[in-house]
Amino acid sequence: MNRIASIALLLLFAAFLFAPYLVNPGLVFIAGFAMIEIVFALSWNLLFSYAGLVSFGHAAFFGIGAYVAAATLRYGYDIHFILVLLICAVLGAVGAFLVALIVLRRASGIQFSVLTLALSQLVVVLIGYSDYFGHDEGISAIPRPVMNFGLFTVDLNRPLANYYFVLFVCLVAVGLMWLLVKGHLGRAMQAVRIDSERAEFIGIDAWRIRVFAFTISGAFAAVAGALLAPWGQIVTPEYVNWLHSAQPIFATLLGGAGFFWGPVVGIVGLSALNYFTRTFTGLSEVLVGASLIAVVLVAPQGILGTLRQLAKRRKGPVKGGHA
Amino acid sequence: MILDAQGIEMSYGALKVLHGVSLQVSESETFAIIGPNGAGKSTLFKVLTGERMTSAGTVRYRGEDLTKLPAFRRARIGFGRTFQVARIFGEVDLMTNVVISIEARLRYSGQSPGAWWRWTPAADVRLEAEEILERFGFPRSRWSDDAQYLSHGDRKRLEFCIALATRPDILMLDEPMAGMSPSDRKEMTKLLMRLKAETGITIVMTEHDMDIIFEMADRLMVLSYGEVIAIGDPEKVRDDPTVRKVYLGQGYQHA
Ligand SMILES: Nc1ncnc2c1ncn2[C@@H]1O[C@H](COP(=O)(O)OP(=O)(O)OP(=O)(O)O)[C@@H](O)[C@H]1O
Ligand SMILES: [Mg+2]
Repeated sequence: MNRIASIALLLLFAAFLFAPYLVNPGLVFIAGFAMIEIVFALSWNLLFSYAGLVSFGHAAFFGIGAYVAAATLRYGYDIHFILVLLICAVLGAVGAFLVALIVLRRASGIQFSVLTLALSQLVVVLIGYSDYFGHDEGISAIPRPVMNFGLFTVDLNRPLANYYFVLFVCLVAVGLMWLLVKGHLGRAMQAVRIDSERAEFIGIDAWRIRVFAFTISGAFAAVAGALLAPWGQIVTPEYVNWLHSAQPIFATLLGGAGFFWGPVVGIVGLSALNYFTRTFTGLSEVLVGASLIAVVLVAPQGILGTLRQLAKRRKGPVKGGHA
Repeated sequence: MILDAQGIEMSYGALKVLHGVSLQVSESETFAIIGPNGAGKSTLFKVLTGERMTSAGTVRYRGEDLTKLPAFRRARIGFGRTFQVARIFGEVDLMTNVVISIEARLRYSGQSPGAWWRWTPAADVRLEAEEILERFGFPRSRWSDDAQYLSHGDRKRLEFCIALATRPDILMLDEPMAGMSPSDRKEMTKLLMRLKAETGITIVMTEHDMDIIFEMADRLMVLSYGEVIAIGDPEKVRDDPTVRKVYLGQGYQHA
């Protein structure tokens, strides 16, 4: 991580931290969405940049969290929302574990990706049949919970509390993911991504590492989904659909694959694009497409990768040099 | 007997590469396998290390049958290996390459590589990695270099570090010195001999450089078209007329 990128990330963090005091409520609402999407995109990138797995159906795990949280809140189950978040994490993990168990035995390449897509679209279809989950309309008018923590209560109906609760949970999730990938398990995941055979010859069971990574990733995607329910107050099958599965992929490509923080930059970029083009229908899709093409053609390492390269060029060639 | 392979057969599709190869390696021995290009040496290595499964025959390790055991399990019970074309973790730095290997050893030997949330390697892991890197001639200034930019010989040396960091009992080296400069070869041979003297590690290696073979090997096996044509004391094998005809006749004089 070079200095320019670090400063940029710190500025982004400051922007999120003070957003309610800096911008209008409409933008704060978008910032909240962006934070949730960042957690979702990071959960995907944990899989991609560390374990080397490409999931095309990650929105399914987001959907598990979103729908379970939405149903609990909407149908008035009296469960502490922190517990709901944890339950969603467990459900996301279990769902991902089962998928990994079935799919990863046979394939970890493109077949894996396509199967994740197929399974996630199956979830969309199932939701369409479900009364409980509101068919194609989804679940709307989701009430925001009030959480009692003994010493104090957090009422998500109050805008500030609502925003900072989302920020807090996102920070915890991002922190946990960061610690995981920087630790020895993250290194084992990287070993499997770079050369799974080499990894096996030092005793690493590549299959288990992949299943583990997928499970963890599913858990965090579900937590992101669960946050969406009270924040957006509506959950529809769109959040489970393949277009939403593509969101973290776009964000990672835009921000820079191979970097933990890549998707953060990517999501902020995509959200900004959406915001500035909101009045022209269809324009945002065109611009998102165009910017992706531009990134792939001009800066294939994404924004962070390009920043790193610029920094390197200034410092001269890499030490060691090519043989 | 640390390694006992009997009647190993192996085919790539219709091409049968190994025709009932048997070999036995005793503890702390250096066992060399030679043979012309395409004889099946690397294929035999694949079968012994679990990269490929035999279609017939058995592989035993200290009496335990591991014919059907996958590679990672063999690695955990004491196999270390290097590849003919060195395989390292290219996108991370030299230090991380070795750390990954040490942490794997700790994780799978009932010890602990540290808590999952520790974002830097544990101090003792780092120290051990530093020792290994230093020993194999990587100065401190290069530890944070990306491994993918290493020269061919350096890749080979780093691969040694990775393989040794798991503290194997048997080290399978497929042409460990191929592509190294003559001075690097000398250095490497010395390092291996010292390693043997210190740890009593068993080495199974293939090598085209006969000088290295005669310097290091306790026993020698000659493979030709997937069959063992001679096995035993290196001097005797060298003087065997069949061996001279298929291999040494052309190769050794050039070397
Ligand atoms: N993956 C593969 N698929 C098909 N055939 C293969 C494969 N790998 C090797 N072979 C063939 O198997 C035979 C034995 O190859 P192997 O690599 O084991 O020989 P080798 O003794 O290691 O040769 P060298 O000295 O060149 O390394 C050769 O005829 C080779 O062409
Ligand atoms: Mg070979």
